Amino acid sequence: MISRPISSRLRRLLNTREMRKLRRDKGALCALLVIGCYLLIALAVMSNLISRQDCTQVIGSNGMPGFFLEESRERRFENARTSMLKPVLRALGHPDPKAALADVKLGRWRVAEKSLDELQQITDDAVALRLILNESENLDEEPQFEARLVEFERKTADLIKPLSGWDNFMQNAALLLGTDAQGRSIFFRGVYSIKVAIQIGVVTAIVSVLIGAVLGAAAGYWGGWVDSLIVWLYTTFSSIPNLVLLVVIAYAFTDSDAKDTLLPVYIAFCSTFWIGTCRVIRGETLKLKEQEYIQAAQTAGFGSWRILFRHVLPNTSHLMLINFSLLLIGAIKSEVILSFLGLGVKSQPSWGVMIRDAGNNGDVMTGFFWQIGTATAFMFVLVLAFNILSDALQDAFDPKHL
Amino acid sequence: MSKTDALLTVRNLSVGFHTDRGDVTAIEDVSFEVRAGEILGIVGESGCGKSVTSRSIMRLLPKFNSFIVPQSEINFDGVDLTKVNEKTMRSIRGNRIAMIFQEPMTALNPVFTIGWQLDEALKYHTSFGKSQRRTRAVEILESVEIPNPEQRYDEFPHQLSGGMRQRVVIAMALCCDPELLIADEPTTALDVTIQAQILRLMDLLRRKTKTAVVLITHDLGVIAQICDRVIVMYAGQIVETADVYSLFKSPRHPYTKALLESIPQTGREHHQTRLPTIDGIVPSLFELPEGCRFQDRCAYKTQDCVDREPQLSSEVNGRKVRCFFPLCEP
Repeated sequence: MISRPISSRLRRLLNTREMRKLRRDKGALCALLVIGCYLLIALAVMSNLISRQDCTQVIGSNGMPGFFLEESRERRFENARTSMLKPVLRALGHPDPKAALADVKLGRWRVAEKSLDELQQITDDAVALRLILNESENLDEEPQFEARLVEFERKTADLIKPLSGWDNFMQNAALLLGTDAQGRSIFFRGVYSIKVAIQIGVVTAIVSVLIGAVLGAAAGYWGGWVDSLIVWLYTTFSSIPNLVLLVVIAYAFTDSDAKDTLLPVYIAFCSTFWIGTCRVIRGETLKLKEQEYIQAAQTAGFGSWRILFRHVLPNTSHLMLINFSLLLIGAIKSEVILSFLGLGVKSQPSWGVMIRDAGNNGDVMTGFFWQIGTATAFMFVLVLAFNILSDALQDAFDPKHL
Repeated sequence: MSKTDALLTVRNLSVGFHTDRGDVTAIEDVSFEVRAGEILGIVGESGCGKSVTSRSIMRLLPKFNSFIVPQSEINFDGVDLTKVNEKTMRSIRGNRIAMIFQEPMTALNPVFTIGWQLDEALKYHTSFGKSQRRTRAVEILESVEIPNPEQRYDEFPHQLSGGMRQRVVIAMALCCDPELLIADEPTTALDVTIQAQILRLMDLLRRKTKTAVVLITHDLGVIAQICDRVIVMYAGQIVETADVYSLFKSPRHPYTKALLESIPQTGREHHQTRLPTIDGIVPSLFELPEGCRFQDRCAYKTQDCVDREPQLSSEVNGRKVRCFFPLCEP
């Protein structure tokens, strides 16, 4: 403890039997790698590499066609119109069109240098095409309609100033998995949700494990009325169905100032997730209490708080580690469920929100599965990686599996 | 043995437990004293109250279901330990009275280094600085004859052998120079050679530091090796107390005699005889017989033993025995 460099202690930690066992487990290493990537992405999102703006910005057509549907001409017109023309039209109506045009942007896109006449020409085209679309009974019989639409698509695409470097890359990334019904980037929303999930998972797991460990150790160590009180508390809490309690707590916050933050979610999760850890640590403490080194600490005259925190709790660290990784997955999954029900994350993208959106718009029925697919795939990989890791941890640290 | 120079005086100590089947008295009317530099042995079968005695001296009985009968007195250097508050008790525990346990494998915390554990005890009870504590810890490790104490200081308990661990346990108990050391079966879990080393070490240390030792054991061999005086306990009572030579030479209580006879002897003449044992079992504390508690297993039982309960009688040269018909005249 005294005067030993951190590096040698870390090396010693990595060389324990448990760690060697963990390092031999290929699956666990892959899982660790995946989790590492997720954490990096979460950090990148937190450092504003992908901002909330990126996730709410309309960058494409509102609603992509499904897998089985051919794009209708109306749709093609709408797509071309929203891509850049809509903001341009708005700018042209401005008292100072030149200045307004310079400010026009759609995501990272900007308007290319065009003369006002040229722009006027395109908007006129749009009006004419709109007229035909609205009035024509049968578009196939309209002369030249197809050719004019193609021309219109080319011109609106031309309105966009070519992006360079990073902006180009980000814009392509944003369009990688298409856009949702509101024209927002599905890929960015999925990636941003990683940060939300990890944030909720880590905070909830840390707080719950700490509460559970301290209460469990206190109950086991002191026994008597302390034990009765804590056991009563967690049996009461666990007698209420978990999800119902989560819903009630989340619902209680719907009118408060904190409703747009993650606070209600944290409170809802932490108040139920500590129970499992508490029970496990209490049992372990009951066992540890009879160990002679705890009795030796008592005979050394140490106070009971000191024994609890410095002798009992460090000996339950393996349980805390396993519980941490289990609770983390639990929290992520519950967050998705709550958000799906509309009670969890509200002002940020989240996998639950994405799945709900996909359901509400009937996307899946029409073969438009990229939204729900993206959310599910991101979540699946993370949860699977954590499951593999906590399995491996349990194998490595459980003395019964030698 | 004058009363004044006794370090620890236990008078009429009775300790009971609340159980589902009602209150039960685990030890009754136990009185003894220990002087500085003396080793007192307490011997008896499992469940006779040896450990309860030591734990009540340390006040470490389970809080919720045990009680010490009010007229009991544990006088340690002028302080009645049954009456002091928990704070005073904590400053005495580990500092002035230390205790070592039976199982060296579990008596050290597996997640911390030896040094950390020694350091914690020193930090708690002394006002030494960091480097002073380290010097003191290494010194004490050296004094319990641990080779390479500097290196051992940074090792974890699982890196040490059983004998080494018991030395560390003793070092931890001794690091604050206690006046009284309670050793609860310190050698039971060790093999014979290590056992002899540890006993020799304890003997050496008490000579050097004048520490009084209460040695609890069920092994009469250990008693014979280092104790000065012996208390024999049976079913929660003291049945005999004597200095170690008289006890082995002329046991007065039938139980003591039976215990001594059941020590295996080596040699040709014992080759074909059966090892004598004491028939029956220690009576349950819930079903203690009327009269003498040893009556069911005693070879010398009479009607008197059933009718009345014998008292601890004082005899010459400090011997005491709880029997109506003591054996071998002193």
